[in-house]
Amino acid sequence: MIVLSCPNCGPRNVAEFRYGGEVHPRPPVPEAVSDEAWIDFIYMRANKAGRRPEWWYHRNGCGLWFLAERDTTTNTILSTYLPGQGERHDA
Amino acid sequence: MWRPHDLAPSYDVVIIGGGVHGLACAYYLAKDHGITNVAVLDKSYIGAGGSGRNTTILRSNYLTPEGVVFYDESLKLYREMAEAFDFNVLFSCRGHLTLAHTDGAVRTMRRRAEVNRLQGVDSRLIGPADIKRLCPALDVSEHPRYPILAALYHPPGSIIRHDAVVWGYAAQADRHGVHIHPHTTVTGIRTANGRVTGVETTRGFIKTGAVLNATAGWATTIADMVGVRLPIVTYPLQACVSEPLKPFLDVIIVSGSLHVYVSQSDRGELVMGAAVDPFASYSLRGSLDFAEGIAGHMLELFPALHHVRMLRQWAGLCDMTPDYSPIMGLTPVEGFFLDVGWGTYGFKAGPISGRCLAELIATGRTPPLIFPFRLARFYERDLVGEKGAASVGH
Amino acid sequence: MTPDAPFDFVFAGRVYRAQPGDTIASALARNGVRVLSRSFKYHRPRGLMCGAGHCPNCLVQVGDEPNVRACMRPVVPEMIVEPQNAWPSLGFDLMAVTGWLERFLPVGFYYKAFIRPRRLWPLFERFLRRAAGLGRVNLTTPPGEYVKQYLHTDVVVIGGGRSGLRAAIAAAGAGADVALFDENPTLGGRLNYSGSATAAAERAALLAQVAALPNLQCYTQATVLGWFEDHWLPVRQGNRLWKVRAKAVIVATGAYEQPLLFSNNDLPGIMLAGAVRRLLHQHGVKPGERAVIVTNHDEGPDVAAELLAAGVTVAALADGRHPTPDAAGLPTIPIFWGHTVVRAEGRAGLRRVQLAPLTVDGRPGAPLQTIPCDLLVIAAGSTPANGLLYQAGARIAYHDETGQFVVEELPPGVFATGRVTGWQADDAAEVGRQAAAFAMGRDGMRTVPARGAHSLPAPCYRPTPGKAFVCLCEDVTAKDIAMAVAEGFNSLELVKRYATVTMGPCQGKMCAVASIRLTAAATGRSPAATGVTTARPPLTPVPLGVLAGQTMEPLRRTPVDAWHRRHGARMMVAGLWQRPEHYGDPPAEVKAVREAVGLIDVSTLGKLRLTGPGVPAFLDRLYTTRLGDLPSGRVRYGLMCNDEGVILDDGVTARLDEQEWYITTTTGNAEAIYEWMQWWAQAGWGEGVHITDVTDDFAAFNLAGPQARAVLQALTTADVGNAAFPYLHVRQLELAGVPCRVLRIGFTGELSYEIHCPAGFGPYLWEAILAAGAGFGIRPFGVEAQRVLRLEKAHLLIGQDTDAMTDPLSAGMAWAVKFDKPDFLGRRSLLRVQAQGLRQRLVGFEVLTPGVTPEEGLQIVQPNGNGRPTIIGWVTSSRYSPTLGKAIGLCWLPAELAAKPGTPFTIHRTEGPVQARVHHGPFYDPTGARLRS
Repeated sequence: MIVLSCPNCGPRNVAEFRYGGEVHPRPPVPEAVSDEAWIDFIYMRANKAGRRPEWWYHRNGCGLWFLAERDTTTNTILSTYLPGQGERHDA
Repeated sequence: MWRPHDLAPSYDVVIIGGGVHGLACAYYLAKDHGITNVAVLDKSYIGAGGSGRNTTILRSNYLTPEGVVFYDESLKLYREMAEAFDFNVLFSCRGHLTLAHTDGAVRTMRRRAEVNRLQGVDSRLIGPADIKRLCPALDVSEHPRYPILAALYHPPGSIIRHDAVVWGYAAQADRHGVHIHPHTTVTGIRTANGRVTGVETTRGFIKTGAVLNATAGWATTIADMVGVRLPIVTYPLQACVSEPLKPFLDVIIVSGSLHVYVSQSDRGELVMGAAVDPFASYSLRGSLDFAEGIAGHMLELFPALHHVRMLRQWAGLCDMTPDYSPIMGLTPVEGFFLDVGWGTYGFKAGPISGRCLAELIATGRTPPLIFPFRLARFYERDLVGEKGAASVGH
Repeated sequence: MTPDAPFDFVFAGRVYRAQPGDTIASALARNGVRVLSRSFKYHRPRGLMCGAGHCPNCLVQVGDEPNVRACMRPVVPEMIVEPQNAWPSLGFDLMAVTGWLERFLPVGFYYKAFIRPRRLWPLFERFLRRAAGLGRVNLTTPPGEYVKQYLHTDVVVIGGGRSGLRAAIAAAGAGADVALFDENPTLGGRLNYSGSATAAAERAALLAQVAALPNLQCYTQATVLGWFEDHWLPVRQGNRLWKVRAKAVIVATGAYEQPLLFSNNDLPGIMLAGAVRRLLHQHGVKPGERAVIVTNHDEGPDVAAELLAAGVTVAALADGRHPTPDAAGLPTIPIFWGHTVVRAEGRAGLRRVQLAPLTVDGRPGAPLQTIPCDLLVIAAGSTPANGLLYQAGARIAYHDETGQFVVEELPPGVFATGRVTGWQADDAAEVGRQAAAFAMGRDGMRTVPARGAHSLPAPCYRPTPGKAFVCLCEDVTAKDIAMAVAEGFNSLELVKRYATVTMGPCQGKMCAVASIRLTAAATGRSPAATGVTTARPPLTPVPLGVLAGQTMEPLRRTPVDAWHRRHGARMMVAGLWQRPEHYGDPPAEVKAVREAVGLIDVSTLGKLRLTGPGVPAFLDRLYTTRLGDLPSGRVRYGLMCNDEGVILDDGVTARLDEQEWYITTTTGNAEAIYEWMQWWAQAGWGEGVHITDVTDDFAAFNLAGPQARAVLQALTTADVGNAAFPYLHVRQLELAGVPCRVLRIGFTGELSYEIHCPAGFGPYLWEAILAAGAGFGIRPFGVEAQRVLRLEKAHLLIGQDTDAMTDPLSAGMAWAVKFDKPDFLGRRSLLRVQAQGLRQRLVGFEVLTPGVTPEEGLQIVQPNGNGRPTIIGWVTSSRYSPTLGKAIGLCWLPAELAAKPGTPFTIHRTEGPVQARVHHGPFYDPTGARLRS
């Protein structure tokens, strides 16, 4: 079981967390984008094999939603950090 | 069974992915349409992906009419496979029980039974007494945390030797002149003016006008090579087997609430699978959480099995789509075809999707059987409703 | 408890005497029993072979427990042991005829047989299934007791042999907390049974050091099952599963002795040197009377001397090597230098072996000598037990020149020492110190193991003609592998899958290396180029009970649960909760609500508390309904979608005061909606919003019916009249002395109050309400009555009438989607739905066919003239309404059909078609007058 470092609580077993999927920002003004771009936002995913930023939620813990950069080929966590902050916590 | 070949400089069709889907498509291209200048590429040995990692369950008791007729055609091809190939794929009709532990699940099972029967597929809702008769090992009492209220009984549900299916298709495709190239990794796909012109591989360049993406786990990676975006997220799915035991489980048992499915093979092993992992990944390592979880759920259903030993666990990759249905057919790039997004149900569909994709590639016309599963459905607000079966009631 | 005097046990129906400390296998060997079970495919007799729990030859049934390794399981008084896979008996097994048919049952046989006629295949298959499997499952086995325990430590050492002990002692000496696991009953590994006084003294000295280190804990009979990410190790110890998280791991698992490949190499009486030495030195059992030893290294002569000392006649020593200078010091026994065994003979056990000289190219020549014996000791090489290192991601290479696997590189935090590395290096203590340093955060990163000479004699495979078993689990012979390759299965993975070699209970411990070498030979590639198969967990088969532990499926009960059970409620599963489905008479419960008053426990509803100035804007973005302008003291219905436009949940929002909102969610979605709200709040929309999940803090009851106000008034001095407390208002009231928040809403269609009180007061208030209502005909009602009541009002249930793809416009809830609000979740997608029009719609229906209530899930069909009717919709909810005296429901229909009330349609039902017609709006009290009254 991999260990994920919650920015609040420190390293914890991944079973305490809920996976929130890859980061894919919502268009700030949905009405301003085309139908096709909107469908792409709703359904299409990069699904990258390798390092990618993702959302995680400390469900059985402090209730924090945070970001983690993870290598999806090995499940290695490279860093975790709070949304809107570049500040990184070593995993 | 099949012969090694040098990579030819050009092929009429290049199929990426040497699993059941890709090999079946190659076979039907050659057999049904006379297109034999075909290459099947795989980055590993053939059948190394989902084809060799699934739990071999075959069934057609889906929720949507389009799903039911599609999978039922596949089941027919599987049933006739041994004779067609002169190769015993150990097709074993065992009967399939999907257990309902909640009133919401009972409603869904009845809905599936009704849809199935209206499509001519044998499916019915049965109660605990009948369940016990078909599967004496199950605990059908009211004691478990999730008592068994009813089950969807699907007599045609079957298991098969998955590797034999791969080898059967490979041998037949080879006999028809198809080139099978294992250990050949695709590194790029060339296009010009919106058309496919060739495939770059670790063994050299292949000129071709038609490429089929028949991969699982790597579908988005391949599609990226031509700039086609897919609504796919890749999750590991884990399974395991027990040590061989004298057969006591004749039917296939599935419990949605407990996330477990199990059958006993002709070798006596219990073959067990679970839901996809809780987070997306390409790692095939597997987890202890899976082993603990499936053991617990198995014992909820079969309390007497606690001495039975787990022998081996493994993982495969599943490409999950938003509507729990595959993506087959054309893309905006001419000559680039899809047979992807197979989630946890790809093996069941290998023969029929191979046949339909072969028809599409050969004729340019999408067969009605796979039209509902086109990529464009996401843009046309025409999703397939299989996900409805997965929505949990209150 | 370990017995301290001889005792009896039963094997195959006969009583035998065991000595204290015996395993099943040693006790049987002591009694001269050589055949323990029959093999998987050919039903060949099999007996003790490896003595280390690695091979499948001694699998027996112990009571209800199948596939027990007899060499590892201590025998206990009155134990009932049975052989496996033998019918009718171990001595006379009818299925052994498959052995005579062996030449008709080559590898892949099944794939080529029983193909035509197809109708006969099920018969053949029945025969195959009867022959399949090893042990038996007893379906009446009572549940077992299993526990799980976590262990966090600095350093884990796996393997308690000489290297493991020395590494553990050094790591603990350096100050690290150390846990050592060994699968055997006693620590010391080979020091336990090497038969020399020096070894015994070394073992005693190591154990003394272990005992002196309080920060070193040793666990015996503890098998590490696998390595998972971040050093997460499952360890089985009896009925306990340890889940261990270590900062550093030292793998000192040693090596697996390997068998040889010669004809009939599976006969009982053929044993690996380790098994022989364990019998001799740990159990004091003579493993045979007349022995032949075959070897390629110094252990062979050692075992010969030990057998002689135990009074066993050593008939011959066949040594693949050529005479060495110190050959003079060997015991006086016939030595055949440059020889190997090519054939064993015997029926239920070994009778004689044939020796042959090795030719110049190292292959066995023609047999020269036949030597009678009842014991053949194989000391012919080992292979590192490196499965854990593979799983940990170590780089391991196969050296074609030496025929051995060696560790080349280790990942951070993983260390290895001893024979498992494939290298000979006296580095255990150094490795222990480095692991301790790594675990305690100092340097000590060591990724390349020390190198030296090879630590192990390479296994020596020289397949001979005849039935030379590579895979004892599956009865796969050397010839089978060659045939598989010849058929085109020309890579290791394909051979494995076709021949099923390495896929049996030994997990490849006995056969992986041999199958690599044989595949390499058959394909003309080098073994290094042939590769290895994946070492999958568990590395040792583990009972499901151990993995499951105590099953703890979570179960939630409402505060009033005990009352419900005392009063005859039939409970039902509702997500994690249990709720009363009814109290025995659902129609009477419906009637009470419609005509008098009823009370239902709705404590399972999700309950959220939102505070802060940002809440109005936040709610308007998350809900499709308008909630931002909700005044204090008011309640409003809320519907929630995701950006796909799919309905997620519904519930009510009450604004308690200027700063506080109280929101309910459906029972099943409580947690998901809380997380969803948290996500949007924390990801950027949560300025001035605080969300707390208070689901467990409140009990909630719905008091419903024309007499509800009278009952409520009886509980409070406050004015609860229609003017003072109107519909869709919330009041904080004291009821029977309990502070409550009371929401006037009406899911049932009657005047009703949803009463939320602190959970601890739940049971008291529930009874107080019932007491207050006694004079008004109050009756508790359950989920079933509520379903009927809400259906009479045509209220939909999220998750029953809708699914994971339903949008609110199609569900007939356009009124709940306020497009005139700015951006909210789902708006963009729902605008598209609105523009493009509906395909299907959820509508009410009433049944026209008398006496029929269609079951939920039935399909709505249209004849299409070619046999099978076309499905056009389906029934999501359906009940007989006692109030209306007819069957009603909700269903999905094509939008054009659903558009007009009264449109008839047909529901398909096996017993005969059911006629129904479209109904719009509530079936009962369509104007909602009763809610407001």
